Amino acid sequence: MPRRYLTTQDVRRAHTAEIVVGPDTLVTPQALAAAEAAGVSIRTGDGPYREPAPARGPDAPGALEHLPRMPEPVDDPSATGVVVTCVGRNRPGVLAELTTAIARHGCSIGDVSQKMVDDYFHMVLVVELSASGSGFKELKADLECLGGENDYVVRIMHERVFRFMHRV
Amino acid sequence: MAFTDQEILETIRMVELETLDIRATTLGINLLDCADPDLEATCEKVYAKIVQHARNLVEVAESIADDYGVPIVNKRIAVTPVAWIAGPSGAEDLTPLALALDAAAEEVGVDFIGGFSAYVHKGFTSADRALVDSIPAALAATECVCASVSVASTRAGINMDAVDRFATAVLDAAARTSETGGLACAKLVCFCNVVEDNPFVAGAHVGVGEAETVLNVGVSGPGVVRSALERLGPDADLLAVAETIKRTAFKVTRMGELVGREAARRLETSFGIVDISLAPTPAVGDSVAGILELVGVECAGAPGTTAALALLTDAVKKGGAMASSSVGGLSGAFIPVSEDGGMIRAVAEGVLSLEKLEAMTSVCSVGLDMVAVPGDTPHDVIVGIIADEMAIGMVNHKTTAVRLIPVPGKGVGETVEWGGLLGTAIVQRAGAGGCSLLQRRGGRIPAPLQGYRN
Repeated sequence: MPRRYLTTQDVRRAHTAEIVVGPDTLVTPQALAAAEAAGVSIRTGDGPYREPAPARGPDAPGALEHLPRMPEPVDDPSATGVVVTCVGRNRPGVLAELTTAIARHGCSIGDVSQKMVDDYFHMVLVVELSASGSGFKELKADLECLGGENDYVVRIMHERVFRFMHRV
Repeated sequence: MAFTDQEILETIRMVELETLDIRATTLGINLLDCADPDLEATCEKVYAKIVQHARNLVEVAESIADDYGVPIVNKRIAVTPVAWIAGPSGAEDLTPLALALDAAAEEVGVDFIGGFSAYVHKGFTSADRALVDSIPAALAATECVCASVSVASTRAGINMDAVDRFATAVLDAAARTSETGGLACAKLVCFCNVVEDNPFVAGAHVGVGEAETVLNVGVSGPGVVRSALERLGPDADLLAVAETIKRTAFKVTRMGELVGREAARRLETSFGIVDISLAPTPAVGDSVAGILELVGVECAGAPGTTAALALLTDAVKKGGAMASSSVGGLSGAFIPVSEDGGMIRAVAEGVLSLEKLEAMTSVCSVGLDMVAVPGDTPHDVIVGIIADEMAIGMVNHKTTAVRLIPVPGKGVGETVEWGGLLGTAIVQRAGAGGCSLLQRRGGRIPAPLQGYRN
């Protein structure tokens, strides 16, 4: 029967050993438990009951169609990079540690810039994630473990954040 | 490089040092189709629908945080005011609905769920009456349910009977949670000109004109604005101050827009609004009072505070409106007293009175928020405070709200600690005298002339 919900009461009222629901019917957890306790099976027309995908309403498909077409601030439409920043006290090997870690994840470095003030440096690297290598999450977890107290800190963010924030 | 080092470092600084974050991703879920003649069945449907729709909300929010490196602090749910789905049952105690909301929120792992609500700005239905009367028991019995009641609007006037009942609910809710300093009242708010797409608790709910499901985002960033003003220095004039706040709000809102679009896409739902609200937290530097002091008042509450707050709220709205076509919610500046270290200090120093706060609410984006008053504050005084606040909203075509906590067993000047984001409050004097005749008269304060704008 096509209906939105099947509740415990519906199970009790059914008085049958089997309840057939429409593919979009949501059976409440309590109804499932009641049916099991009463030995009633709940199924759809083409098999056992499975929770349907949530119906997000008539606006959702249109929104999903239009969301990607919303204008975005773009410098380079193909850019899918992440921005790695590193700030700390200079010592030999900092750049090597960073680039080794980045290479380990199969990413390539698109750009590097660095400035020094006294003993301290800040470095910005634009890194391209490779389709075959690690994702952002793994790269972030790895890079942010580098350095340490009184050494240097690494932060990593998706390039799209900067595009949204600094470009119109 | 597509960006200058300065731009990149600015963004990193905002997130790392100035506590910029996505404060709330709130999934709005319409529950109108859950109404059932049996309250128990209604509860079952409510639970099942919320869990079905919000099951992956936390996961999606965390995946965005992971993919972009942007912190997303809270994941929340807003639902249709439940008074609207309780009607067919005819039930008088709606606590079971609150328990169902609470269980669903716990199941999907969100921190708050808003929508134990009713719209009674013009009159009560039986279900509305049942809901308002159920609020104290419901809030005392649940962890993360938030309740809100619309008691006034510019279009309808102020329903003083509703204000009276709401005041009863506030006092009762405080009494039922006396061991936690009246904590239930921190989850209870009333509104004039209620905002139907508000992603922030305690007022979050899904209004009558909203889609089946909708994803709203709340961004915050008092720390970012504060730092920008610190860098601007004391020599800049107020036009420069407004411009600086506006530009900063623009950038903050853009981050919200990005996260909102992405979250809606991943949840396969409509994208509602970005709410750019400077919402303070007890964290050092994350204070709206601190911003007001940088604009130029010695202490929040001193003369000049209302003007400074007007500038701040307006500049935030303008920056936000430029940054996104979907700005909505409460956008502006919040002044929740207990959640803002600077406000608490101002209360402790005797500079910030309830009366001054009321004046500030005529230009902030919400209203009297997280204000502690003595536990023995008379009923009619609570009614009067709420009615005054509603009148400000009604006449000025503005949203105003009251979240008042009569702290059981505490008197003026005593401190109450709620912990977490709710912070610490010093109990404030709730005005002199009362308004028992105004309360007794009841009825409705009619809509002002400016309400008839058709």
